[in-house]
Amino acid sequence: MNHTTRKWSLRLLVTLYLGLLVGLPVGYLFIKAFGNGFHAFWVEVTKPDAIAALKLSAEVALIAVPVNTVVGIGAALVLARRKFFGSRSLTLAFDIPVAVSPIIIGVALILAYSRIGWFGSWLSTHGIQVLFSPIGIVLATMAVSLPYVLRSVLPVLIEVGKDQEDAARTLGAGPFRTFWQVTLPAIRWGVLYGVTLTIARTLGEFGAVLVVSGNITGKTQTLPIYIFDAWDQNFDTIGAFAGAVVLASISIVALIILSTLRARERKLHVDLA
Amino acid sequence: MSISLSHLTKRYGKDAVVDDVTVEIPESSLTAVLGPSGSGKSTLLKLIAGLERPDEGRVVIEGDDVTDVDPRHRDIGFCFQHYAPFRHMNVARNIGFGLRVRKQPKDIIDAKVAELIELVRLDGKAKSYPAQLSGGERQRMALARALAIEPRVLLLDEPFGALDALVRTELRQWVKELHRQIKVTTILVTHDQDEAMEVADQLLIMHEGRIEQSGEPTELYERPATEFVHGFLGPTTMFKGVSVRPHDLELVKPSEGAIEGTVQSVMELGFEVQVTVALSDGSTPWVQMSRNEFRNLDVDVNSPVSIRERV
Repeated sequence: MNHTTRKWSLRLLVTLYLGLLVGLPVGYLFIKAFGNGFHAFWVEVTKPDAIAALKLSAEVALIAVPVNTVVGIGAALVLARRKFFGSRSLTLAFDIPVAVSPIIIGVALILAYSRIGWFGSWLSTHGIQVLFSPIGIVLATMAVSLPYVLRSVLPVLIEVGKDQEDAARTLGAGPFRTFWQVTLPAIRWGVLYGVTLTIARTLGEFGAVLVVSGNITGKTQTLPIYIFDAWDQNFDTIGAFAGAVVLASISIVALIILSTLRARERKLHVDLA
Repeated sequence: MSISLSHLTKRYGKDAVVDDVTVEIPESSLTAVLGPSGSGKSTLLKLIAGLERPDEGRVVIEGDDVTDVDPRHRDIGFCFQHYAPFRHMNVARNIGFGLRVRKQPKDIIDAKVAELIELVRLDGKAKSYPAQLSGGERQRMALARALAIEPRVLLLDEPFGALDALVRTELRQWVKELHRQIKVTTILVTHDQDEAMEVADQLLIMHEGRIEQSGEPTELYERPATEFVHGFLGPTTMFKGVSVRPHDLELVKPSEGAIEGTVQSVMELGFEVQVTVALSDGSTPWVQMSRNEFRNLDVDVNSPVSIRERV
């Protein structure tokens, strides 16, 4: 086999593999969702329950993504720049929520926050209900999307090193200016990548959220749970397809935006060196 | 501005990387801290800048004890080994960083940056990003960035380490010239004795965290205080059981009252020729001579020859 043939057959193999795993199912989903025309699709996605689910998912993301971004960057800075006893275990602790099945996170949250758990009973006597409410959904979502920003930023921080920050310090910059003008620009791609993954996971989480939410239609139903419900309980396949298309589109658009920005940045040579 | 270090010590775990260093660095000098890798010279520089905190000892700059002062308030220009450019800022913004921190008016910053760009000969590169510069240009940009804040002291960590041989020699001369112009007390760290001898007017030899000797280059070369300094500052060879400089030996025709031996090998390095001689006691000293001396001697491998100390 000559070089060109080998190159092309390798490409074909990868394309085929991706096609079977991603292209075909997702493509089929889009075809089915729009099978009865755009109008039918629009009717499905504008149903009150669908809108409510989309809204709840967006609200959860609006809380979970910023919080996990700040926590992730902060933790990455501490872990990359300071060596201390237990730092390795701390990194590991961040990974636990994605290493175990989401259902375990859900069950564990129920144990901790239901009225039989000591913390849950304390909260309920103060009128705060965590389970079967949006608070529980936010907690579960934050838990399962915890390490993405940390994991994307930490290697970048280590690779970039401390020199630029030290240089800024000797030039008189304080910690805030150093972070905003030196550290953050240096790690911005890691941050954006982590945030994209966090958004995708936040919007997509199903298992952990299902367990803690109680699945109350129109109240504690996020978009993935709405899709599952439409599919499994209401035999509303078109509704499920339509919801799935909306969910998939958000993630795909986020990924496209990220890679476009990145390609433009590369063209400017700014990130090389 | 003079720098005085007293009993400066930095430990990592049990090992002292910088071990009880006490030294005065004269005002307006260009001092080279010279030592093998791992001798603690870079750590010493970071201690002066405040980027590392000493376990013991004091750092005094121009009479101010700055030991407990944060690096941002020390007014020290620091050039990192790999220059540490802010990659997302162009040359002009890199150089102006310290001035923006000091909240100088924009027109003053612009004027100063333009002046520095000219000083470090980066004309036309103001809008370039560090990635678009060569190693030497990046180095000069880092220097301009450090000089912009008009530092009391300039610290250079292995300033020529990452450059190729040609650019290196050129930059050395340029740094020397620059120092003559601006006269800021400068300390540079290097492991290259030629570089140190060429650039610096003061040498500080470090070995295993301690200062072996300090003083003017010729003084150290001619009167090394320790065996280590002697060995580190120039080539040595063993003759009559002691370590001597190979250019302090000479070869003569046999039977002129010197120790006789045979030529073991000849290495011609352009102007310089190195001849190794095998002596009857089993030792093999080598002699450094000029090409002309070698021609006049007219010897080859296995020729009988006599060796003695030059007078």
